[in-house]
Amino acid sequence: MTSVSSCSSNTSCTCGGLSLSDVSVHYGNFAAIREVSLTIPDCQITALVGPSGCGKSSLLHAMNRLTDLIPGCRVEGSVRDGVGRELTDPSLDVMSLRRRIGMVFQKPNPFPHSIRRNFEIPLREHGVSRSDLPDLMEKSLRDVGLWEEVSSRLDESAMKLSGGQQQRLCIARALALDPEVILFDEPCSALDPLASAVVEEHIAALRGRVTVVIVTHNLAQARRLADHVGVFWMRAGAGTIVEEGPAEVVFASPSDADARYYLSGVRG
Amino acid sequence: MKSPVSRRNHRRFSDLACGIVGAVAASLTLVVLGCIVWDLLRLGLPHLSWLFLTGEVADGGRSGGIGPVLVSTVMIVVIALAVAIPPGVGCALWLSEFVRPGTVPARAITGGVDLLASVPSIVFGLFGMAFFAQVLGLGFSILSGGLTLACMILPLLVRTTLTALQSLPVDLRPSAAALGLTQTTTIRKILLPAALPGILVGVTIGVARSLSETAALIFTSGYATRWPDSPGDSGRALSVHIYDLAMNIPNGAAAASASALVLLLMILVINSFASFLAERWLRRYHS
Ligand SMILES: Nc1ncnc2c1ncn2[C@@H]1O[C@H](COP(=O)(O)OP(=O)(O)OP(=O)(O)O)[C@@H](O)[C@H]1O
Ligand SMILES: [Mg+2]
Repeated sequence: MTSVSSCSSNTSCTCGGLSLSDVSVHYGNFAAIREVSLTIPDCQITALVGPSGCGKSSLLHAMNRLTDLIPGCRVEGSVRDGVGRELTDPSLDVMSLRRRIGMVFQKPNPFPHSIRRNFEIPLREHGVSRSDLPDLMEKSLRDVGLWEEVSSRLDESAMKLSGGQQQRLCIARALALDPEVILFDEPCSALDPLASAVVEEHIAALRGRVTVVIVTHNLAQARRLADHVGVFWMRAGAGTIVEEGPAEVVFASPSDADARYYLSGVRG
Repeated sequence: MKSPVSRRNHRRFSDLACGIVGAVAASLTLVVLGCIVWDLLRLGLPHLSWLFLTGEVADGGRSGGIGPVLVSTVMIVVIALAVAIPPGVGCALWLSEFVRPGTVPARAITGGVDLLASVPSIVFGLFGMAFFAQVLGLGFSILSGGLTLACMILPLLVRTTLTALQSLPVDLRPSAAALGLTQTTTIRKILLPAALPGILVGVTIGVARSLSETAALIFTSGYATRWPDSPGDSGRALSVHIYDLAMNIPNGAAAASASALVLLLMILVINSFASFLAERWLRRYHS
């Protein structure tokens, strides 16, 4: 496993970004996204925004190969990790790829087992020894500010936690695998504003440690979080990224007309 | 022409009549239950004793007890469960996790399961006699009876397990995959444990159905009232014993009622255990 401590500052970060070129995702004959190119910088937070149905989730799923699970789904183009390995390669070990590129979903989805078991199952699967489990679990739960709240009830069902706590548990569970990248698909949209703020705060705290890609419909959240932004729009019946760049630039002066409309329309 | 007032009265009267008919119908079911229990208690309770539960069958069942019958019954049910649970759960897993619903193999299997569920138990009995007892040469034996019952409860187990698996949150699968878990781990460590209470409900219903089964057992596990030494022996199930006492043994009514009381009690205990499990399960996932 790569050490997380080497990623403690923005400058010396080695967690690894992603670079996508000409990625298309098809569901059967339907093209959900066409020829998306995107650079996801190392250890920064990249926000993907855009209207519903433009294929933001599809793009995230292409990055950790969850698209493999959907019958009839085809991914073309190239997704390369920080060291230039091709992630769409069919011979790649998908299970260890998903350990390196974690994902947090819109709806909190802890396993219906105890909090402890939620860590034990994935960690044991990836060869972490039993004796290392408690420390890793505590560290990950502290990273999302959940340790104080749950340390006395680790053996109770994770389903008893509140929605916001469940979502932070899912983030901790992903973090425990020491991933290089975490993909967040609208992680706050099922939460109330207060819980959402707490989750957002802990995502922001990942900057410099993990490469974060976050899909959000909340433009204010994108502004607060993002170092880098990609704006999705429909082109010729399929979603694509029409604007990409550093957050300051994209938010201040988008060059694409649709991106300008989208970013300003919600602003006004 | 009726006046509005009389029409309203008429409506009020018909509502009242409906209510009364409903109440009578509802209390009728209670009366039926009461009659059955009362009759069993009246005839059977005096006959019931520790000796009756443990003693050997004597005089065609009129005296002595039902010890060997209880042992045979338990053996038959245990065999049925042991044989039916693995393929039942396996079939449900395959349907819910490995084939796409709506495809030809999925439709064929679910159709087959539902058809099997609607086969009357006497047909299972005839099949068991022809296949297990004669073709496989197991004869009238506890094993033949258990295997026949296994066929009978198989569709039930498939259905309940399938329902349990399908009522788990759908996003468990992608969230497990996103953590790099293989499908085997996901099934073994996440889906099956989460569906276990639902599966247990199916198993308990299967036990209750096996206990109350007569038709499938008469031709397969047979009538013998000796203490069974092995599953190869013929052994009489409790429901068959009751049937025999009531139909073939003069003055067997008291022993039949006492045996029926025991059967009723066993089923009551098992059913309340099932609903207890089901309720706990619902509370755990759907609250
Ligand atoms: N499993 C699937 N099978 C078929 N079509 C799909 C599937 N998943 C998504 N699509 C289609 O692909 C397109 C993009 O969907 P996707 O969920 O990626 O969009 P999105 O940008 O994430 O939308 P939202 O903001 O609503 O989450 C949509 O037209 C959708 O209907
Ligand atoms: Mg989406």
